[in-house]
Amino acid sequence: MRQVNQKFSRVVITGMGAITALGQGITSLKKGLKKGYSLFNKNPLFPELSFPVISAAIDNFNLEEAVSGFNSIPEELKLKVFKTGRRSPKAIQISLITVLEAYQQAKILNRSVDPTRIGLVVAGQNTTQRYSYDLFSSFQEEPSYLSPTYALHFMDTDQVGTLSEVFNIQGEGFNVGGASASGNIALIQAYRMIQQKTVDICLVVGVMADLSPLEVQGFHNIGAMGGKYFAEFPSKASRPFDSNHEGFIWGQGSGCLILESQEIADHDGISSLGEMKGTAIALDAHRYSEPNVLGESRVMQQAIAEAGMVPEDIHYLNTHGSGSIVGDETEVKAIHEVFKDLTNQVWLNATKGLIGHCLWSAGILEAITTLIQMQEGFLHPNLNLENPIDTSLRWVGKQAESVEIKTALSNSFGFGGMNSSVLLLRGE
Amino acid sequence: MTKAQIFQLICDQINIVIPELMQHPIAPTHSLKVLGANSIDRAEIIMLTMAALKVKIPLIEFAKVDNIQGIVDVFYHQIILADSISGLVKEDKCEAS
Repeated sequence: MRQVNQKFSRVVITGMGAITALGQGITSLKKGLKKGYSLFNKNPLFPELSFPVISAAIDNFNLEEAVSGFNSIPEELKLKVFKTGRRSPKAIQISLITVLEAYQQAKILNRSVDPTRIGLVVAGQNTTQRYSYDLFSSFQEEPSYLSPTYALHFMDTDQVGTLSEVFNIQGEGFNVGGASASGNIALIQAYRMIQQKTVDICLVVGVMADLSPLEVQGFHNIGAMGGKYFAEFPSKASRPFDSNHEGFIWGQGSGCLILESQEIADHDGISSLGEMKGTAIALDAHRYSEPNVLGESRVMQQAIAEAGMVPEDIHYLNTHGSGSIVGDETEVKAIHEVFKDLTNQVWLNATKGLIGHCLWSAGILEAITTLIQMQEGFLHPNLNLENPIDTSLRWVGKQAESVEIKTALSNSFGFGGMNSSVLLLRGE
Repeated sequence: MTKAQIFQLICDQINIVIPELMQHPIAPTHSLKVLGANSIDRAEIIMLTMAALKVKIPLIEFAKVDNIQGIVDVFYHQIILADSISGLVKEDKCEAS
């Protein structure tokens, strides 16, 4: 286990940006979380498939309109965002906007920051599936006319290249692939880069999952995707930890967090939204979609220990809570393993019940929702948790709870035996 | 198809790839590079024009040209060549029948 050493920098969060089905911006997300609002619908973009696809999709996104909403960003940068992103896949356009929002909050543009000390970690793999799928019919007709830019855009690294060019990021940067744990794993890599002083500031960006019919059919065939029982009632379909859960409901969303060393933030007079204190990633040596109690409990325990804390110190757990039958049952067992007789004290909710399973960006968006809840003193509802699979745990009900939370864990688990947990402290 | 029509078609593609270039009048003597199109933009404009004209020309043919007129000429010659081959084919078919 990694031990936090005093020579490591403390890592604070100074900027957040998000776009989800609930709308553009942290304000929309905060409002949705407080009210317990969700926007699940039948997705019309999958006529090829023989079953209804329920999702919380980002509809009607327009890059030009999205950019124009940032009043305190210089026109020159807004134009650069628009010109660079206008012919890029939708997922890149959305990442550009979430970064812009986080940049604005962390006041990066108003500070004297060495671009070689800014890092970039982009969470997500297979991020251009829909883009490729949409080009395939014209490609089959005439391969020669394939756009030369395809060679750039089909690669996940296009996110890194585009964001680094637009925001002049010249430190360390790369993509992180960890299935549904990608977001947390990316956060943890950024955290370590700052701790070890590889960079002073690091952007962590979760890419919107733009699935094509192939991936949706695949998730359906493997039994991971829900939406069958509640096909006619989409708002009821995403129900983590409820006895009528039947699989995850896909959500589209992108999030950006700006992490920086506390020394730099203090020096520049930037407020901390929260602190990352403990982290853990562990494989459980299972290549399939088999969640594992030992792997899941181990990362929670390691994250708590790395922070120098004990389970009693944890007030709230933002669960992975995908709504998968086996996944939910496994996570409940892991929670019992970690918290033992304290399980009636730790508050639990599942953000996927409101914004869907945002796959590659889930960990980042759930870290964001955790920070929002800690800042605002509430816990968002579990909208469809009508009959919990375990009644001994302390679930938030169908209404938001007013609770002061100082310490939280956020879990993310992925296919291929990938387990991760991060421990967050409330900011100033 | 005339050279003026091909020029207009190229302008249409420029408008798709880099619309701000169309804020000022574009002349055949202008160079895409000097106007501000990078190598990827230029390849994109040429590929879109190829698709619109339904012709196939190796991109290397365009490496030798200095301005938009040069691009027009490469497309024009290809179309003339394609038309004359098509005419010969038609003549062959007539003779054969």
